[in-house]
Order: sequence, then C-alpha cells, then structure tokens
Amino acid sequence: MNFKTVIMASVAMLCAAAPLSAQADTSSKKIALSNNYAGNSWRQAMLTSWDKVASEAVKSGVVAAGDAFTTAENQATEQAAQIQNMILQGYDAIVVNAASPTALNGAVKEACDAGITVVSFDGIVTEPCAWRIAVDFKEMGRSQVEYLSGRFPDGGNLLEVRGLAGVFVDDEISAGIHAGVEQFPQFKIVGSVHGDWAQDVAQRAVAGVLPSLPEVVGVVTQGGDGYGAAQAFAAANRPTPVIVMGNREDELQWWKEQKDANGYETMSVSIAPGVSTLAFWVAQQVLDGQDVPKDLTVPFLSISQDTLEESLKSTQKGGVANVEYALEDAKAVISGAK
Amino acid sequence: MTQLSFLTSKPWIWSFAAAMATWVITMLFTGGSSFVGLSQATLTFASFSIIVGLGQMLVITLGPGNIDLSVPSTITLAGTVALKLMDGQSSWLLLGFFAALAIGLAVGLSNYALIKLLRIPPIIATLSMSFIVQSSAIWYNRGLRVKPPKVLADFTTEATFGIPNLALVALALSIFVWWLLEKSVFGRWISAIGQSPFAARMAGIPVDGARLMTYVCCACFASVCGFLLASFSGGAALNMGTEYLLMSIAVVIIGGTAVTGGNSNVPGIWGASLFMFLVVSMLNTYGFGAGVRLILTGLIIITVILAASRPSARAR
Repeated sequence: MNFKTVIMASVAMLCAAAPLSAQADTSSKKIALSNNYAGNSWRQAMLTSWDKVASEAVKSGVVAAGDAFTTAENQATEQAAQIQNMILQGYDAIVVNAASPTALNGAVKEACDAGITVVSFDGIVTEPCAWRIAVDFKEMGRSQVEYLSGRFPDGGNLLEVRGLAGVFVDDEISAGIHAGVEQFPQFKIVGSVHGDWAQDVAQRAVAGVLPSLPEVVGVVTQGGDGYGAAQAFAAANRPTPVIVMGNREDELQWWKEQKDANGYETMSVSIAPGVSTLAFWVAQQVLDGQDVPKDLTVPFLSISQDTLEESLKSTQKGGVANVEYALEDAKAVISGAK
Repeated sequence: MTQLSFLTSKPWIWSFAAAMATWVITMLFTGGSSFVGLSQATLTFASFSIIVGLGQMLVITLGPGNIDLSVPSTITLAGTVALKLMDGQSSWLLLGFFAALAIGLAVGLSNYALIKLLRIPPIIATLSMSFIVQSSAIWYNRGLRVKPPKVLADFTTEATFGIPNLALVALALSIFVWWLLEKSVFGRWISAIGQSPFAARMAGIPVDGARLMTYVCCACFASVCGFLLASFSGGAALNMGTEYLLMSIAVVIIGGTAVTGGNSNVPGIWGASLFMFLVVSMLNTYGFGAGVRLILTGLIIITVILAASRPSARAR
C-alpha cells in the first residue's frame, strides 16, 4: 500500500515537472504532420510512433496539438493542397514527409511566409526556408559494401535490389552502393533489379533474374526486400549469399533462424520509423525559439550479429525495428550539427 | 491459307508468340542453362496475374465502362485478414481460406450495389470501394506481417512433377472460367450483355443478376490471389496488391480480349501473364536501367497489342 502511494506520488511529480522541464513557451503551439503515404509497415510504424510521442506531449502540455494527416494517393499536388489547408487551419509548425523534394516547394514557401515553421524529414524538401532532417542514404549504401568487404576480402559478385524507380531515396542508396563498389573494386554488381521495398515484388524480381546470374556472394538491399530475396534464392535451390537485411521483423526472424541453424552472418541497416518523433521535437525546439541549424542528419539504425537477439525482442511481431526519440535526443542531434 | 485463317481467328496466338520470343531471348543470355529455373519462376509468378486476370476479364467482357479497380485492395485485405485469422496455425487453414472468399463476396456485392443502387459508373464505384477496402486492411492489422501456416507456405512454393503448384491452381481456375464462358448459359449471358445490353435485356436475359455475379466472381478471384500471394511471400503486406491493378487489365488486353466487351479469351490470359513476367526478366537479365526498362516494356506491349488487334480488324 505504502509502495503504491510512493509510485503514485512520483508519477504525479513527474507529470507536474514535465511541462516545466520542457519549457512552457510552446504549450499553446500546434504542430501538424503532413504525410504522403501510409501503405506499408514502415509508414504505419512511423505514424504510430508519432501518435505516441505527440499525444504524450499534448497530455503533458508541451504543445497544444500534434495531429497527423496522410494523403490518400501519394501525389505531390494533393500534399501541396493539404499543406495549404494546414496554413489556413492555423498550425504553428508543419512537419512534412514529402512526396517530392521539389514539387512541394511552393506550398512550403507559402507556409514559411505565413510564419509557420516547416520541418521536413525522410522525404525532405529543398526549399531553403524549411528545416531538413535528412538520412545519409549514400552512406547507408556504401556501408553495406564495406561490411561485405570485411566478410569477403577477395570480393565477388553482388546482386543489387533497388527500391522504387524514380524516387530520390532509391537513387541515393544506389549511388552509395556504387560508390562502395568503386572503393572496393574486388566486388562487381552482376545484376540490379527493382524490388519496390516490398518483399513480394523483390522476390519476383530476384526470381526472374536469378537463373541467368553467376555465383553471387552478397545481396545489397534497401530495406523491406531482404526476406523476399532470401526466398527467391531458396526457391531456386541456390546457396544463400550474404543478404543485407533492412530491420523488418520477418527479415530479422529469418536471420535468427539461419543463425541458429548454420551460423549465418549478416548485418541489417535501415532508418528507424521513429524519425518522425525526432522531427516532432525539432519542430518543438524551433517553436521554442532555439537556434536550430537548417540541415540535420539522423543516424541510421543498424543491427549486427551480436545485437540481433536484443533487437528482435524489442521489435513488434511483423513490424519494423524502431527507436522513438526523446527531447534530449533531438537536442543532441541539434547540438551535434552546430 | 488455313494456317493464316487460324492465326487471324486466334488473337491469343500473339501473346504466346511474344512470351515465347522473350523466353528464348532471356535463355540465350545463359546459353540455355537457365531453362528449368526460368521456366519455373515464370510459371509461379505468372499464376498470380492469371488468377486476377481471369476475374478482370469477366468484368471487361460485360462491355464498355465495366472495370474493377478494387482488385489490388481486395488482394491486400483478403491476404491480411486470412493470415491474421490463421495466425500460422495449419488447423485454421480452411477458416482463412473461407474468410478470404467471404471478403471477395462482400467486396463484389458492395461494388455492384454502388453501381446499381447509387447509379455510379463502375470505374468510380470500384475506385471508391478500393479506398474503403484498403483502409480496412490498414485498420485491421496496421501492416504487420503474420507468417502463413507451414502447410500453406510449402504448398504455394513447391512443385508437383516439376510444375509449380500455383500454376496448377491457376490452370484449374482457367479451365473453370473457360467452361463458364464457352459451355454454360452464364457465359453466353455475359457475352451477350457485352455485345449489346439492350438486346440482351430484350432477349430476356437477367442482366442485373449476371452483372452482379460477374463482379462477385472478379472480387473472389482477387481474394483467392491475395490468399495465395500472402502465403507464398511469407505474409501479407499493405502494398502487396498495388502491382496487380494495371497488371490485371494489361493481361486481359494483351491476351486479345476485346476492350469493348462481348468477347473474352482465356488462353490469351496465360500468354500475356507469362509474357509480362518474362519481359521484365529479360530486360533485367540484359541489365537495362530502370528508365530504359520501363520505356521498352511500354513499347513491347504496344507492339504486341497492335499485332494482336490487326488480324481481327482484317477479319471484320
């Protein structure tokens, strides 16, 4: 009984202290999330993380609102209209995951002119008045080849599974992978297919090209496609190469099974969907009057042979390995960029 | 001369010719050593397009304006619900399958209810339906992947006598649709409606009943495809159906079914589905970039459609 009271009291204290520690200046501010797409597990996790962090922040009085809006058709024009609506609705900050790096610039400029803070993340916008929380996608691609060079000092043939053709992220990661191959010339990319970041599409694309490929030692991927690639290799009765995974639970689960069965080793790298919460806190910091540099970089989340079990345990079944960022993390990222 | 008239009377010849040509060109790359691997992969992945294509073909046969755009979201919802219900347990297999079918039934009925009761054109009705269905899939499981039961995963990925099980399922369904179209009264009805709805009504054909059945059939084929696809690829994903919107329409058209309705073609669906998979594999094998690949895919499809439609124009 006594213990319970102590806990109750400390919870009450925390609740009372939270608004104070987060500076009450933003308590009347409203933040909106403009999201262009919700049709895969990564985006669902991103929205869930946002919802969790934003509703807690609203409850504890850090901000007045943290609403999320998603467009139905993943079209830049539709998202531009959505941002214009947000301007009219009187939001103080708009956090954007953009359908296009350039096509939203007009709407973003309008928002800035109306005195609204715009923070873009993941799918960033090039408009100079907005903040950008970018992922170093090139490095994400390059690091895969670097990892493989450690595993295969003599090199070998690689299969590249790309994302959705024509999307900025796909070009960036692929450029990083090719830069990695230039850096480690013992590797050669013998095939390149588009898996659209979806297991079934990746499986189909890999299965189609596999019969014509020579021996492959490694598969470089972009996330959401590793399991499909593994299935295609298994279906073709070919030895499983080292497939770089992308933090999806089914990929990690498959990796764990292989590891237990035959000591299979690989790595996994992707961006945590919780990057939306980092963007939330950055927007809050800007509203708070802090000096925040316009270009920030978010670290990516990689999982190694040693951290596999631990990550698997904390990942929701069927979901994506995730981290939610707190205000302190945002402050650290901001001070790191200064 | 007889050979020529055989060619002109069978528009599906062209899709098979195209599939054959791409198959040979792809194999030339490896000097024929990819024979078994490529053929099996092609049959497996073409099966999904065949199953959705059959349903879409029935709808398109109903005549101008008839199309089902809710196919991708039906695939997604059926796959999502079935796999979550089965939860990896082989004993729940039948439950999952019937849940998928029930979703097909419900989507088909709702589609036609919108079309008939609210007098919305099919293209708008099925598109708006697809938003509802897709949102239900998102709401139902938030994109979390549930593993299929072992029995089902094995069945969908294995082969019997060297022929993938999925291709056998697609073959059985194709024979059923062929029988439906060629031998049953129902098939005569939908062809008649496609040729002239007015004349069909005058002839005493239950036009609404036949159209309702067709939309339900199409949605059920899509839901079966979703059930198999989710089991095959190790779980349902929210974007698993996206690919099959244009694919289902493309295989119908390339296969030689008249876009204007009234004339359908089951073998053509096979030729076109094999071709659609092979053309991507061929361009991937030869290492073309994404841009060139998409342009070439478009050009090749146009060429095949032109080749397929010209003889029938001459025959008229």
